[in-house]
Amino acid sequence: MKAYLALIAIDLKLALRQRTVIFFNYLFPMIFFFTFGVFFRARGDVENATRVLTMSTTLGVLGNGLFGAGIRALQEREMNILRRYKVTPITPGPLLVASMVTGWMIFMPYILLLLIMSHFWFHLPWPRAPLSLIAFISIGLVAFRAIGLVVASVANTMQEGTILVQLMYFPMLFLSGATFPIERGPAVLQIISKFIPATYMVEGMKDIMLNGKDITNVLKPVGALLITMVVGFIVGMNLFRWEKEEKIRGTAKLWVLAVLLPFFVMGIVQWVKR
Amino acid sequence: MADVITVRDLRKSYDKLEAVKGIEFHVGAGEVFGLLGPNGAGKTSTVEILEGLRSRSSGDAVVLGFDPDRQKRQLKDRIGVCLQATNLPAKIRTQEALDLFASFYTRSLNSEQLLKRLQLWDKRDAFYETLSGGQKQRLALAMSLVNDPQLLFLDEPTTGLDPQIRLEIHSLIEELKAEQRTVLLTTHYIEEAERLCDRVAIMDEGKIVAMGTPKELQQQSKGQSRIQINVATPLRLEILPAWPDALDTKLNDDGREMTVYSNRPARTLFEIMKWLDQQGLQLDDVHLKRPTLEDVFVELTGKKLRD
Repeated sequence: MKAYLALIAIDLKLALRQRTVIFFNYLFPMIFFFTFGVFFRARGDVENATRVLTMSTTLGVLGNGLFGAGIRALQEREMNILRRYKVTPITPGPLLVASMVTGWMIFMPYILLLLIMSHFWFHLPWPRAPLSLIAFISIGLVAFRAIGLVVASVANTMQEGTILVQLMYFPMLFLSGATFPIERGPAVLQIISKFIPATYMVEGMKDIMLNGKDITNVLKPVGALLITMVVGFIVGMNLFRWEKEEKIRGTAKLWVLAVLLPFFVMGIVQWVKR
Repeated sequence: MADVITVRDLRKSYDKLEAVKGIEFHVGAGEVFGLLGPNGAGKTSTVEILEGLRSRSSGDAVVLGFDPDRQKRQLKDRIGVCLQATNLPAKIRTQEALDLFASFYTRSLNSEQLLKRLQLWDKRDAFYETLSGGQKQRLALAMSLVNDPQLLFLDEPTTGLDPQIRLEIHSLIEELKAEQRTVLLTTHYIEEAERLCDRVAIMDEGKIVAMGTPKELQQQSKGQSRIQINVATPLRLEILPAWPDALDTKLNDDGREMTVYSNRPARTLFEIMKWLDQQGLQLDDVHLKRPTLEDVFVELTGKKLRD
């Protein structure tokens, strides 16, 4: 347990000492928050204010998960930092858990800030199920960090990892409803969006904020995110590599699909229902 | 002296490449044992197998009573390892790094004492990125001592460091030896092995080609000792007598430096001194150089250590 606590404490300190972490976790999504707020005329409009809050949260989750967890883990391997850990009795478990917990601890103040600003600037009522909202966002965040860690596990180089992250980040950004209302887009995009994990993040949040639901009423997205979280963690643990010289076979990249499988199933179900 | 490391018929293959080809050795408690060899000799594979970082293909290895393949965590908890080319996060402070690594072990030393011992106490709040190369290496050594290990693996601990820092690290290794800790050292530096190691194994192409104390290995050498004499008045080869047991005599261009190769340097040197005195020649300097481990290494492998 002392290793877990020490790792979480040091990860937190290191994160707060990095200007890029502060920028990408707080300032960058906040710029979108204000821009969306003005663009969607969110002030005094509950539906639009909720949309802006949801978009800004999803943007933050994507950045924190894919870049914060994935790219950082790759950097530590490339820079021979993980090699130093390898000679100690520590296993990948505490390192991955510490990464999850730290990511969550850094992200939660941003969520609170968004809620406070949405309330006072947009006049958005406080959420009726705040604990459900926080729990749902937490599950989403950890699931996306798990996806990030799987990317770090299957990428052999920083270049490969960056490509994989970008291949996920941009479709999720534009096709999930995180940056523009996908329900107003063409039918084909709406179908595609059902296969994208971030869509369920957006929909689950909207249901809790706008439709008065609690976490027990959004079990489908919760289930998919939880499965992704567990599969991601298991894959991340098993494919964990301490050294950049330890290469992984090209076919191992298919594990990224395994971690996205729940959303593929959800997409098929939604498509068939349609 | 109880054995801390025992290796029998150890082999390691990577696909078709056999990196370690059935080596055998043992390291006793409190011994500093050196593994010498050029790149690709199989040193790193051997050491990483013993550290529990890599699985062996066949053979036996026992380290501190543990099987490095099957009891990795127990073994790692008890050994100290200083690797080449590792890094820490740029923004971690020196003492934080030590405290973090201390948390990974069941037993750990006080970080303040360790930092003071490694002369890093003044740098305890410095970020890792601001440390010099020598300070980073001292921190790496402090981290390898954080669990108070009885067995240390030091992989090229002074490579790339300036001579002053290298001497400091040599002194530290001598202190570890005085504390009866066992050290397995890999190095490219011959003088490091000669100064620090009780015994040395020379590896080449996956095999141990010679093993013994540095002195034993030097005695096995067919090489000759070299006597170098500097005189104030220039000499000419024609006037020099045939020195007893000398194999060859050379003069430099200005005739003031004479080099004599001999199998029995003490006797040859005595005769040279006697002759110089008889001739009334003023002696400026004299050096006697015995065969080094490097000479032994070249004889055995036909390669230089840094090949």
